[in-house]
Amino acid sequence: MVRHLPTLSIAMSVTSLALLLAQPATAETVTIGIGTQDTTTNTVTAGVVIRQLKLLEKYLPTSGKYANIKFEMEWQNFTSGPPVTNAMMANKLQIGMMGDYPLIVNGFTFESNPESKSRLIGIAAYSLSGSGNGMVVHKESAYYDLADLKGKLVSVPFGSAAHGMVLKALQDRGYPADFFQLVSQSPEVGSTNLQEKKIDAHADFVPFAELLPFRGFARKIFDGVETNLPTFHGIVVRTDFAEKYPEVVVAYMKAIIAANQWLRDNPKLAAEKIQEWTGISKEVVYIFLGPSGNMTTDPSIKPALIDAATTDVKVLQNLGRMKEFDPKKWVDDSYIRKAYAEMKLDYDARLASTKNYEIAGEDSFCKKPIGDPRKAGEVWVDDAGILPFASAACTLGAYADFKAKGKKINVTYVFDTARGIKLFADQAFFAVGGDEIAPFLLKKDAEAHAAKISGKVLGFEDAVKSAVTGGKT
Amino acid sequence: MSSPALLRHSEDTMASAMADVPPAPAATQSTPPSFGTLALRWFRLNQGTLRATAIGIASLIAFLLVWHLLTTYRVVFFVRFTNVPSPLAVYASFTKAIHDPKFLMHILLSCRRILMGFSLAALIGVPLGLIMGRFKLIHEIVFPVAEVLRPIPAIAWVPMAIMLWPTNEQSIVYITFLGSFFPILVNTLHGMSLVDPVLVRAAQCLGARERSIFREVYFPASLPHIFTGLTVGMGVAWVSLIAAEMISGQYGIGYFTWEAYSLVQYADIALGMIAIGVLGLGSSLLIRGVGQLVMPWRVK
Repeated sequence: MVRHLPTLSIAMSVTSLALLLAQPATAETVTIGIGTQDTTTNTVTAGVVIRQLKLLEKYLPTSGKYANIKFEMEWQNFTSGPPVTNAMMANKLQIGMMGDYPLIVNGFTFESNPESKSRLIGIAAYSLSGSGNGMVVHKESAYYDLADLKGKLVSVPFGSAAHGMVLKALQDRGYPADFFQLVSQSPEVGSTNLQEKKIDAHADFVPFAELLPFRGFARKIFDGVETNLPTFHGIVVRTDFAEKYPEVVVAYMKAIIAANQWLRDNPKLAAEKIQEWTGISKEVVYIFLGPSGNMTTDPSIKPALIDAATTDVKVLQNLGRMKEFDPKKWVDDSYIRKAYAEMKLDYDARLASTKNYEIAGEDSFCKKPIGDPRKAGEVWVDDAGILPFASAACTLGAYADFKAKGKKINVTYVFDTARGIKLFADQAFFAVGGDEIAPFLLKKDAEAHAAKISGKVLGFEDAVKSAVTGGKT
Repeated sequence: MSSPALLRHSEDTMASAMADVPPAPAATQSTPPSFGTLALRWFRLNQGTLRATAIGIASLIAFLLVWHLLTTYRVVFFVRFTNVPSPLAVYASFTKAIHDPKFLMHILLSCRRILMGFSLAALIGVPLGLIMGRFKLIHEIVFPVAEVLRPIPAIAWVPMAIMLWPTNEQSIVYITFLGSFFPILVNTLHGMSLVDPVLVRAAQCLGARERSIFREVYFPASLPHIFTGLTVGMGVAWVSLIAAEMISGQYGIGYFTWEAYSLVQYADIALGMIAIGVLGLGSSLLIRGVGQLVMPWRVK
């Protein structure tokens, strides 16, 4: 017995060793490195949502040549695009997502990579009017318009989508390039500097132009919509990886479609989950990704976005940051088309449509259905959910009503009367006259409108009072 | 090495070494030497230095050559040189940068920041280290705080530095200050702890007061360590430069490198790195030179 034991154990260890050795021969492990930007809210449906809901695992191919391949996902989170490009160049990441300017830099940088190029294969979210990027000033400052910032110190992360917005805004208004003293600061540095009033204004990409006002120390004075230049976040892939495993890239596209569906099915839950996963306040997530939000999540690669990218290339060339680059040749929509086809969805219909999902339903305060969603409003009541209201006046009236009933209100949204972008009601300027209450992002717009309706401009609290006393429609 | 006994000794050897040299010209005074013999003599005298310089230059050229070959053939041997910029590409961005007055501005501003941060660190770190080494109570109070703050990397200080100081320039100087302060403090302390207590007692027996003991015993004895601290501190000040200049947003060689990274321009990143390396080398040499002047008794 005692003598038999060692032989038995040797036999066992030999078999287990053989099994160990045999395993890699049958199952090959392929690592997929994916670079996300969790805090950049409009990339979440291409990144953190897929990771947390394990959507990619659901669509990964398992048959044919993939029968013996085991996939391992390596998700890496960054706060801006360039580090993603860097890791993609080093082949540590195969798939990455970032905003329009970093995307172009990505495509251009890969031109000189002998191993692989990069291709734009899908869009995470976009705004055709250029919302999402914005410029904020300190709440206590006396700046209400770009014109007030003449000669002041303005910071923006160079090479970002927000940088493009600032340059376009200067160009549109015919201001010289040195109209402000423009310096480069990352979001982290710029935010702290603005809070400490070391800079006069900070321009940034999603979600900072909304997040900083929401944190309570900043005020947005310029929104990307004023430039009317589309902005977007997209997904790029290394071509060597995509050519070797095209089905994986298609699976990734399917996961994005599924993530978008999940978001639209229950935007409130999605906002809460995204807050849990990324640390960005749910109220801020919802202003971008909720119904009638400032961003449209849609993976199709719209020609308008590529045209915008071509404009962006020119801006970078003028700065001497880039040589020849043709965004049209860099786009590859074959994967997203295949994903749509395999999911029995119509890609061309999606491509042609620029519709977001909008606020709908019944106004429980004014007792009428929602007509124009971009004139409506929403109140997020802590225990009752996000309730839609037909107009700004109804929204403010409902807000006062909830307050009177002692309900806790998270946030109230209204829409800019002129530009149709979603606003935090407590940050807006209201032109109030007669029984009309018209919210605006910019003080000067509100003043112009107030003059037209011979009314006056009120802040949020006063506008609520006037909604209660007479503005109810 | 740092005790005055040794100092005396090395002064002696120094003196005798100097005594060795003068007789040579004196002997040849009668017949003026030809240019050839002068050159030969100069060569013999500086043989060591010349040798070091020649080898140094050769090794730098070899480094450039290896770098060039690795990047031209895009060598992949575990370490991958596929996308690393070649020396020629870096040289091309250097020639472009040198014609840009902004680049000079970057370098000048960085040098100023380093100089200010480093000087402050030296002015505070050295006396503090001396006092901490002499008085136990102060050591017990300051040391724990210093040890907690010391390992914090420069980049983690960025948000705090912005909030602490009224202007960005001050925040930047503060971060470079922190970088050099701790090596200076720790080395000064180390120097103080190595001072031979026998010497201190001897000085006390001879009636020296506290101030004289400080001036005559402690300070000269810990000077070599102080200078080690200064050299290391200068290096770390340059190390923390990129983190510090992230705040600046427009000027500085650290900012230049950071901006090149934001726009993924590898050649410019390498140029920034090399510029920081060269400037760091220059400033370390400067400190060593000052060290030679202050401590002539030290053998090279």
